[in-house]
Amino acid sequence: MKTILAVLVGFILGTTPAWAVLGEHERSVSSDRQYLRGEIRAIARDGYSLQQITTKDGAVVNEYVSPAGLVFAISWQGPTMPNLQQLLGSYFAQFQQASRSRTRRRGPLVVRTDHLVLESGGHMRAFHGRACVPDLLPDNISAEVVR
Amino acid sequence: MSLGHSSAAKFGPFLVFSAGLLVLIGCGGSGGSNPGGGSTPVDNTQALQVNLGPANNSTNEAFVAVTVCVPGSSSCQTIENVEVDTGSEGLRVLSSQISLSLPAIADTSGNALEECVSFADTSYVWGPVVSADVQMAGEKATSVPIQIISASPKFPVPSNCISGAGAADVNTVAALGANGILGLGVFQQDCVFACTSASPQVPDVYYLCPNSVCRVSTVPLGSQLQNPVWFFPQDNNGVVISLPSVPADGVASVSRSLIFGIGTQSDNALGSAQVYTTDNAGNFQTTYHGIAYSQSYIDSGSNGLYILDASTLGITDCSDFAGFYCPASPVDFTATNTGLNGVKADVSFSIANADALFAANGGRNAAFDDLGGDNPQTVDWGLPFFYGRKVFVGIEGQLAPTGVTGPYWAY
Repeated sequence: MKTILAVLVGFILGTTPAWAVLGEHERSVSSDRQYLRGEIRAIARDGYSLQQITTKDGAVVNEYVSPAGLVFAISWQGPTMPNLQQLLGSYFAQFQQASRSRTRRRGPLVVRTDHLVLESGGHMRAFHGRACVPDLLPDNISAEVVR
Repeated sequence: MSLGHSSAAKFGPFLVFSAGLLVLIGCGGSGGSNPGGGSTPVDNTQALQVNLGPANNSTNEAFVAVTVCVPGSSSCQTIENVEVDTGSEGLRVLSSQISLSLPAIADTSGNALEECVSFADTSYVWGPVVSADVQMAGEKATSVPIQIISASPKFPVPSNCISGAGAADVNTVAALGANGILGLGVFQQDCVFACTSASPQVPDVYYLCPNSVCRVSTVPLGSQLQNPVWFFPQDNNGVVISLPSVPADGVASVSRSLIFGIGTQSDNALGSAQVYTTDNAGNFQTTYHGIAYSQSYIDSGSNGLYILDASTLGITDCSDFAGFYCPASPVDFTATNTGLNGVKADVSFSIANADALFAANGGRNAAFDDLGGDNPQTVDWGLPFFYGRKVFVGIEGQLAPTGVTGPYWAY
């Protein structure tokens, strides 16, 4: 990770950085100006771009942006659970419904609906997860790029 | 609201806890319990049970009894069926299961400290942080911050707490499958520095409640929920979870021991167990078919072997019990765990058909060592991993008899 950060040319979005919401346009960053104030880096990848936010306490949120400018996936890693409503936006309701329909399983969460795939795992002090909207995947990009 | 740097000064009562903490840190640096020292050993073994639990609906949950007292008094209550969870830190008890009146932890203005805890499955609990003496076997942790789940209608769950979570508020015995959660993970506190500083952003975990509206606040380390074991005067460097083997179809109940301390008494020696140190996040590496999964961990609070995905393992998902594997017949696997210290060994495990397991013995079985489910890109060694083993949980900053300092696992 350190190597990547050293090689990448980073930029910081002033004092009100935030991130886009799943399924919305990259410009939707204004939807959240109070959460996860950290350093934002834009990383170009083959066929999509990555906005990576790193905070001082070690939390990392990645947003995956299609060439059309839509956030098709997000991933997170950090000492506390992120606010999923903020991350998932309009996909939150279907996620919430699906996450409450499980029986007997107690452990990391995997939710698969027609329009959303979400995984949430880890333990206290080390949570991680990812969410992807398959319908929004750019051409020739698989959900496996979301890490 | 952000209390910033002034917060520590405002928290008068917290300073008492902070001072206590510093004393303990001093002990912890030297291993605390003085292995082999001259003091008389105390009873360090608490009975541990896996069964259907207090709501008659639990699968692979391990329970102990925990005695909670008003600090410094003999006013105590024993709470049965508290789940032992190595994936969290701190004691959390349902308000419906406790009648003691425990002193609230508050700032100098009397504003109560409350906590919203989200778990990895996106469920959450909400309730006040109070101070209690926590006793198990002959061990006693004094004035430990614990949480009472859903204690006060005076402070409704903040909208941030509800909206941030996906799954439900697990605030009843039926929802929790237990009367409380005893977090005995590899860490001392549940949130640590993410919650002590207002910069860059205080996570939505701890709240101060000046009136019916609670607001996110920073909280000093000493007032966060604590793994009570490191508050013990001895046997405070970790725990051993010991459970017997179970048959392939599972069994209705098993019992053995939760033992306090590692290498501090004759019953908690590492013996032939290998020590796997973890990274700062409490994770180690599990390798399966040549691919390393670096965010792997052991969690007694997970009720299955939550490992990778069906296609990677070459088995099928269940069609009805979502999230479990249903191979036609049991399948054996081998994976390799590697500690940060380079210690490495294979783990053999088996995954059976969850439909068949849940139907066996008329559906009355609660302990299964071969229950598995999906967890792409990671390996969560849940409670099935503990059967037939002694698993040592080494607390961060505490010295093990071998000279290794926690966090680590050994088995």
